[in-house]
Amino acid sequence: MTVSRRHVLKFAALAAASAGALPLSGCEGITSSASKWLGEGIPSKVGVANGAAVDPDFHFLSRATYGLWPGDLDYLKKMGREKWLSEQLNYEKIDDRACDLRARRFETLWLDPGTCFEYKKPVLRDELVRHMLLRAVYSKRQLYEVMVGFWSDHLNIDVGKGDAIYAKATDDRTVIRRHALGRFQDLIAASAKSAAMLIYLDGNENRSAAHPTAINIPNENYARELLELHTMGVDGGYTQRDVYEVARCLTGWRIHTPWQRGQIYFESAEHDDGAKVVLGKTIAAGGGQRDLDSVLDIVCKHKSTARHIATKMLQHFVSEVPPKAMVAKVATVFEKTGGDIRAMLRAIFTDKQFDQFASGKIKRPFHFIASSLRSLAADTYAHSSLTEYLNRMGHAPFQYPTPDGYPDQSSYWLSTLLWRWNFALSVCDNKVPEVTIQLTELATAVGALVESGENVESRKISTSVSKLQLDRMVSHFVGRQPTTLERQTFFEFLSQSKKDARPELVGLILSSPAFQRC
Amino acid sequence: MASPKDYSRRAFLRKLAFADEAHLGTVNKALVCIFLRGGADTLNMLVPYGNDEYYKLRPNIAIKSPSRGGSAAAIKLDDHYGFHPKMAPLLPIYREGRLGMVQAVGTDNFTGSHFEAQDQVDHGESCGHSLGGGWLGRHLATRSLAQQTPLSAVAIGTALPESLRGAPSASVLNSIEEIKLQAPAGQSQAIAKALAELYGAEVALLAEPSKTTLDLLGRVEKLQGKAYHPANGAVYPDNTFGKGLREIARLLRGGVGLEVAALDLNGWDTHFFQGAEAGLQADCIEQLAVGLAAFDKDLGSSRSTVTTLVITEFGRRSYENSSMGTDHGRGFTVFAIGDRIAGGQVHGPLPHLTRGQQLDLLGPSGLAVQFDYRSALSEILVRALDNRRIENVFPGFKGQEIGLVKRAIV
Repeated sequence: MTVSRRHVLKFAALAAASAGALPLSGCEGITSSASKWLGEGIPSKVGVANGAAVDPDFHFLSRATYGLWPGDLDYLKKMGREKWLSEQLNYEKIDDRACDLRARRFETLWLDPGTCFEYKKPVLRDELVRHMLLRAVYSKRQLYEVMVGFWSDHLNIDVGKGDAIYAKATDDRTVIRRHALGRFQDLIAASAKSAAMLIYLDGNENRSAAHPTAINIPNENYARELLELHTMGVDGGYTQRDVYEVARCLTGWRIHTPWQRGQIYFESAEHDDGAKVVLGKTIAAGGGQRDLDSVLDIVCKHKSTARHIATKMLQHFVSEVPPKAMVAKVATVFEKTGGDIRAMLRAIFTDKQFDQFASGKIKRPFHFIASSLRSLAADTYAHSSLTEYLNRMGHAPFQYPTPDGYPDQSSYWLSTLLWRWNFALSVCDNKVPEVTIQLTELATAVGALVESGENVESRKISTSVSKLQLDRMVSHFVGRQPTTLERQTFFEFLSQSKKDARPELVGLILSSPAFQRC
Repeated sequence: MASPKDYSRRAFLRKLAFADEAHLGTVNKALVCIFLRGGADTLNMLVPYGNDEYYKLRPNIAIKSPSRGGSAAAIKLDDHYGFHPKMAPLLPIYREGRLGMVQAVGTDNFTGSHFEAQDQVDHGESCGHSLGGGWLGRHLATRSLAQQTPLSAVAIGTALPESLRGAPSASVLNSIEEIKLQAPAGQSQAIAKALAELYGAEVALLAEPSKTTLDLLGRVEKLQGKAYHPANGAVYPDNTFGKGLREIARLLRGGVGLEVAALDLNGWDTHFFQGAEAGLQADCIEQLAVGLAAFDKDLGSSRSTVTTLVITEFGRRSYENSSMGTDHGRGFTVFAIGDRIAGGQVHGPLPHLTRGQQLDLLGPSGLAVQFDYRSALSEILVRALDNRRIENVFPGFKGQEIGLVKRAIV
């Protein structure tokens, strides 16, 4: 296909200016071309690390992003971590048009819950999943996207429950994405009034009732998880009485139906308006819907919350068992800044100890898939042929049944190796339908391919891979030179193959233990 | 949890190449553990219709007494209890004396947290005293290591449940058919070999799962490609749970050495509008009962060696809440099926349903726990699975006699 540059740019500008709806699969080819013009391709020359241990900047990027797109390491090294971090934290200023071209096409992402009821559930679910994956792979606002993933787990909503799916797109926009790098309490306050959360944790059903058994019993599901998971943590020091009292405070929030379907409102007749005592603090009678803010003021400012959130963020970005001093430091930042998420991230990524934790984590399947696609500079629109791998590894976004969200512990994910291998082998051989990679272009850029045809005459084409070329290829994916054993294994594999086995070689690199780590 | 790495990489590769068939066909005693995730309201499964308080506490969601008749009423078991109508498929097994229940089983965890309680039950520990590995994993670790293969322990799904952690070898799968390497024709062997080399150097987290996966690839080949026909006209329900049970039956009948299978059934956290004879919980009960009845039928003669256990993390409150559901409670009923089970009865009395209702507002209550859950698990492991080192599975725990499992005749 030949598209003039002028056309591409015109198209790109149009698409970026539109509200997002471009439901035209026929446009995928042209979108891919346009994306390249917008800088979403493989640079002609890509630097790789050449140490025996993982390059610290590679480690930094492995944690702060969904994997390194070819050229990311050069970019970071050129600008320095401080500047890179500032750029990422001011994500609104990063030009993300290339990603928008791919990810803004899903119209249901932009609709309110009432309008989503017009769509079938599988359509809504697929668009949510595809949008999430495409943003993770193509957005230049990488740290922002990683935090979107983090909060989506922290404030988990399983779209399989009840009618939650109709309100999840709104939750994604107005809770998670609006506050992902904002202030913690704003995030929780938005979540507490999110229709999707009210459905998922039964807040919608929590009412003060004149019950025949004469016991005034609220539905404590959301109140419990608000304390246990969203804010203070299970050992945060609250009692069952506190759960009960918080549940009383939160009675009365409702979702409109059938008119203004999916909008939330406060029904004072169903609110328990008596006085409550939460964590030793009295909330006076007659507070009405302000009870919610009173509760959030108490729990979000609690020391346990600062500690719990600091610990979870450090487990995500640093280590499953973060050093106590780091937890204390980041928790203090939380307290001093009133839960400023940007300030916490800055404290984490600039900590002197940060570099010590290279390769200490195992990528979760979503991260594995996204980082494979990023490091291969793959061209995809995340059709079901790709997202099926997420299903098979049990890591499809917004589909974890319980409110604790997908586990962040490596041990939980170790049974997924076969599917990682199968994905890696298939994608490198261009066998995942509608996912395209340009291995020759990538190999040329990283300096892992001979440009002259000299070796083509040799009996086995695979012997044309030299040690230097192999080393550069491995390093592109794992941030260090291969070990002797790795090198030996890869060469042995190549020597046994009768055909050009370079796709399988790259598949093996992505299947290897080193690429599972981050 | 570390497990003995008593074979070298070379030995491992050899083992891979010659996946032995030594124990194909041997009949193991096996345990199928079904976990009802979310805290099942067992008071509406095994209905105490003889108790007036039950009806007072649940004006909207109680199951009608058998005396009321009709399809919405409980199915009478004895003068105190009846089954939820959707439990009907299990009635014949109960009447044969192979389905037994234990009343008011639970943990010593009062947090009311799903995650804490599930974790504790999966690990088989007491509150705040964490043990390495899960209770099924530790049980398997007491067995002869030489005989264990990736098919000794199988979890249906996508992630290994905590209960199987620490098993010498365990596999996670949805179906046997899906276990294959997607490599170009003729390259599978070379790729498997390269993977074995690469992962053979691992000493940490990735070492065991990679060995298990590679070993499994070799072993399932002989089961693949043959259509599976359930025996005795068993028809599994067409849902994830039914398909999981079918796969477990296939492995058990295939004689591949399966000793422990774990399967979850979700959807029991019925805070809201749980329904009575029909509704959210009834749908869950139906899946469970229809699935288990088909499984029991399909096992046929293998039934004598298989014990099926159904547990949850906690029961629910005795009374309904304002949204016609039930909040987190304490004691629950354990269900167990097998030839070794002292079935056709409910072990342990029904605790007082209303005692301490004021206290309930302060924390999850419901049925007071009369049997620690490990007492039930121990009896099954010792008497139905011949575990001789139960102190290694539940260190420091002194079990209480329940009588759920018949003693072996010496």
